[in-house]
Amino acid sequence: MKHFCQKASQLASDAFERNLTFWERLKLRLHLSICGMCRHYADNLKLLNKILFGMHHQQKDDDICLSDEDRKRIETALKQSTTHSEH
Amino acid sequence: MLCIMHKSVENPEHWLANHGDYLYRYAMSRLRNEELSADMVQEALLAAWKGWKNFAGKSSVRTWLVGILKHKIIDHIRKEIRDRKLADAVESDPTSAWFDADGKWLEAPRAWKENPEELCESEQFQKTLQGCISKLPEKQQIIFQMRELIGEDTDTICKEADITSTHLHVLIHRARLALRTCLEHHWFGGSR
Repeated sequence: MKHFCQKASQLASDAFERNLTFWERLKLRLHLSICGMCRHYADNLKLLNKILFGMHHQQKDDDICLSDEDRKRIETALKQSTTHSEH
Repeated sequence: MLCIMHKSVENPEHWLANHGDYLYRYAMSRLRNEELSADMVQEALLAAWKGWKNFAGKSSVRTWLVGILKHKIIDHIRKEIRDRKLADAVESDPTSAWFDADGKWLEAPRAWKENPEELCESEQFQKTLQGCISKLPEKQQIIFQMRELIGEDTDTICKEADITSTHLHVLIHRARLALRTCLEHHWFGGSR
């Protein structure tokens, strides 16, 4: 393959999942130093991960709640489970 | 109903009221699906009701419930991977949609100049992001639903899910390519 971009995009993604090998890291770094497109891609991924990670911690957001419907449904299911297992 | 209740142990009948929303948010932050998240909370609470005798009181009730919920979510993910044969998807689905025959980008990624904290708080952006995730092919949607969990528990998930971590990484890579493109079209790159 003439261009390394396709491979570089995979490595850039993998870098967030595992430790790249020495050669993988080297090849990726060299490529990023000469390829603006892949540099943007790698930066985009970093931002994307930060955003998704940020949403991860949005469990502090008090607006996200069980709907009344879901709450009732769960209550019913819990009640049913105890009537079936009366000790 | 439940007989012996130590004064220090929270009454299980209050678990839903005290922890339901928290558990729901936990599930939502990972699954990003309201119906599925409510199901997971229900399953976790049911399992907790059945197994409350196992709660030794070593941690808080909430921590214990979250642990149960997390396992339910992992089981769900494993099942999804198996049922939808995500392991097979690796062979048949190349990333050539984004690259030409020489391995170069068909559409050059642009610089995104925005602040992650601001984006997290922007409702508009969240809507756009959700929209992009829902446009992903089903198999990739699942990967994004699981991503946070995969990061923490790759080995746990791969075990019994008939998928190697390498395969998972390839699926994550493809999902990222698709999501990034969608976001660039609908948010970062201006209108197209």
